[in-house]
Amino acid sequence: MNWDRRAFVKFAVGAVVGLQASPLVPKLMDDVAIWTQNWSWVPDPETGSVAFAKSINPDTLTGVKTRLVKARLSGKRVIRVEGDPEHPLSQGGVIAADASVPQKAYYNAMRADAPMMRKEGVRGRVPAAEALKKVAEKLGELAKAGKASQVAIIADDPYSVTGEMLMRLAAAYGTPNLVFMPSAKQTLALAGQLLFGQNNIGFDLLNSSYTISFGTPLLEGFGAPVATRKAFAAWRKDPMNRATLVQVEPRSSVTASQADLWLACKPGTEGVMAFAIANLIIQSGQADSAVASAAGFDQFKAMLAGMYGLDKASQDTGVSAAKIKAVAEGFMKAPKAVAVCGPGNSGDPGRLFDFMAVLALNAVKGNLGKPGGVVLRENLPWKALGEPMAMPKTPSLDGSDDRIMGLDNAYDLAVAALSGKPYPLEALIVVGCNPAFSGPQAKVMQKLIDQIPFVVSVSEYLDETALMADVVLPAASFLECWGDCATPYGASQAFYGVHQPLIGIFPQAKSQGDWVLALAKELGGKAAAALPFADTKAALAARTAAMGGLDALAKKGYWMQAKPAYGFAFKTASGRLELTPQGLGGKLPVPAACIAPSKERPLLMAGIPSLRTGAGQQPLSPYQIKILDNVTLAHKDQLVAEINPKTAHDLHLGEGDVVEIASAAGKIKVGLHLYHGAAPGMVFVPVGLGHTAFGMYLKDKGANFFEAVEVAADPGSGLPQWALTPVSIAKAGGVSHV
Amino acid sequence: MATHGKKQVNRSPVDWWLFVLGFVLFAAVGFWATPAILYAEKPQPFQFSHKLHMEQVSEGCKSCHAFRKDGSYTGIPNLEKCKECHGEDPNGQTPEEKVFAKEYVAKDKPIPWQVYAKQPPCVFFSHAAHIANAGMECAKCHGDHGKSTKLRTYEYNRLTGYSRDIWGWSLIPLGNPPKRMKMDDCARCHRDNGVRDACFVCHK
Repeated sequence: MNWDRRAFVKFAVGAVVGLQASPLVPKLMDDVAIWTQNWSWVPDPETGSVAFAKSINPDTLTGVKTRLVKARLSGKRVIRVEGDPEHPLSQGGVIAADASVPQKAYYNAMRADAPMMRKEGVRGRVPAAEALKKVAEKLGELAKAGKASQVAIIADDPYSVTGEMLMRLAAAYGTPNLVFMPSAKQTLALAGQLLFGQNNIGFDLLNSSYTISFGTPLLEGFGAPVATRKAFAAWRKDPMNRATLVQVEPRSSVTASQADLWLACKPGTEGVMAFAIANLIIQSGQADSAVASAAGFDQFKAMLAGMYGLDKASQDTGVSAAKIKAVAEGFMKAPKAVAVCGPGNSGDPGRLFDFMAVLALNAVKGNLGKPGGVVLRENLPWKALGEPMAMPKTPSLDGSDDRIMGLDNAYDLAVAALSGKPYPLEALIVVGCNPAFSGPQAKVMQKLIDQIPFVVSVSEYLDETALMADVVLPAASFLECWGDCATPYGASQAFYGVHQPLIGIFPQAKSQGDWVLALAKELGGKAAAALPFADTKAALAARTAAMGGLDALAKKGYWMQAKPAYGFAFKTASGRLELTPQGLGGKLPVPAACIAPSKERPLLMAGIPSLRTGAGQQPLSPYQIKILDNVTLAHKDQLVAEINPKTAHDLHLGEGDVVEIASAAGKIKVGLHLYHGAAPGMVFVPVGLGHTAFGMYLKDKGANFFEAVEVAADPGSGLPQWALTPVSIAKAGGVSHV
Repeated sequence: MATHGKKQVNRSPVDWWLFVLGFVLFAAVGFWATPAILYAEKPQPFQFSHKLHMEQVSEGCKSCHAFRKDGSYTGIPNLEKCKECHGEDPNGQTPEEKVFAKEYVAKDKPIPWQVYAKQPPCVFFSHAAHIANAGMECAKCHGDHGKSTKLRTYEYNRLTGYSRDIWGWSLIPLGNPPKRMKMDDCARCHRDNGVRDACFVCHK
């Protein structure tokens, strides 16, 4: 053995390897990693006394219990938002949108934290008084010049206290152009009004043993999503007494995959399916007696037999006659069965034709006012904020004056204002919504906001609309302010939720209602007289006077009708079920003229709803982005659309191809995922991604579905409708790694 | 075959023993030096016999480590709790008790115990959830601490300041609680018992 260079190297290498084999290095590495927790700038949650408070998330209507640490920062801090086990709707459950509320509330890159104003094109923070004065001055000038009607207000929820305040403000100020974002609540109320003379109806899902869902995402955000999921869980609880769920829609969605039977119908034929089933029941002589005595029954029966006979319906819907027949039999035989309609998969408010067909089917089944059927809800015992106010006589831009129940149409308002006919808009106030992203038709709304000389956004976030606005008034999150929300879509019992300020994050952020009241005060005169409340809390106290006092209500968090009310009364002019509604001039409901594919745009585009992405009304938190799978958002933030392999093959497209989906209204770039569950001839796009605001966690992730949708007024309700959009697909180059 | 003028050295397999020697020697150095490099000791204020106390009380661990009425956990009992039994003899009987009486009871000063099981501040840990709800035994995580006659040496990590009990006394990451109490151990037990092991279940 020689002790030379080579021998030394051998020894040294052995020594290094030996040291590596000892715990010294891995332990040091581990400790260094743990040491990073102790860096002075890493936030270290302090200990404090923990308290719980009840609240409600008005976006999801989930009753939540917030875990607070007191005596920190500006008073308290929310640690966690969790489900409230005592809440009748959510029963302790939450969805991702609820769990990530604190993340969004505290994330100051998203939030509008102070009033802002654009001066010479540059947006900067200003004192609240200055911002309000500017808005009031502008509105005052317009009113003085006789242009009050040229001010439009777009808001989120007509049933909230802010909604009612805005109605009073608009009436007092003198503008007919107050529009609310379209919702399926409006379509259901209208369909109920036309057929039954009742506009406050719901579905008793929990007690149903056989449910047919007509094209509505029952498990992806229907009504109060947690409550609907709880009902579904109850259906599945007892394997020996399992309730049946049938889903009718063209895509194998989450609901379809969880259903006992999925009827994969052709796009836009859900209403046809409902009438086909109703026809089979009538033909079998098992229709309810109330139907036989309904106004227009003979005409209705003849129409069903002529247009929705089994063979024709099978051909129209693409579902085999045997399957339709089996479902009709199952539905008829089930003691407690209900047919459900609701918001469409694209986040649209649904077609009136479909809703009427589904409600008529329920009437034919004879489940009106029965357990597990369609039920009447009590009216909420709330009080109006004041005497009714006369609406301005100027015709509204959206044409709602001529519609039954005067339903708004934000899209028609935008189109009319852009064309300047009959008159243009001089100012726009957006409250609690983000039309520049969620439209309807985002591009059109962006154009409108761009064109209007003065735009005000009352928003919790610096969203797309706020970024375009001249004045931004920061709204508080529901954890920071007083506010309310009313009965979720389709619920069987009337419900009213109240939230109160639990924490203070941004001192300058106020509730939307507080901003409306402050503006009314600044405007003075009639506007101030119409809203004589010191703050939203005072307005809520007046509104809830018959509900046992605001403090008790806030402590409990909600008011709810004790139990579903069974029994049904028709309040139509004839006092009967009206199958040929007088509201439609005694005519039968006719299928909505679907926007049909053409040679130029051979495919139909629809949305993919999801509890993870929501319907696009609310931004996603960083946490929600992390839980998206790679068939929604692929590598490099590429949005993924679904297409049937056969359709893809016909178009010479393959898995992962990056394509441009183009409609007459706009285009988006997506990666393709071949999915056998997608109906041929269609392309399905996730809804709610593709923001251009909100900072690094949300900005530029995916593409915005609402930029490509084509909107048309529903011929029945007049509400904007974008369930299906004809599109073309062309390769845009590149491949996404789906 | 050309050698290009280089001198060929005949190497015996013994040369490779140098590699083995280096490996063994420095692995041993690593094992020997690791605790000395990473950990330092801190004295406890005075000695304490759990065994002796357990013989005196009727309700086992719960006699001193109890739940408050609101469900929160007292952890190490405060001075008031000690005084419930030790208040009668202010001078104490044993040498350790004398220190306790003189330095803490007489001065009404909290005892600065070094807590072996103290977890980092970024996690929640609810004793109520584990003891009252899940019915776990204290010893599952804390070992036979209740039977010890004296407090063992408290060691803490020089870099992080956390107790050595968290990482575990074994130098190779083997063993389960009570031998170590790292996050992986919590997560494993949660998984094994069908309890969620998502981040926010424990982390603030």
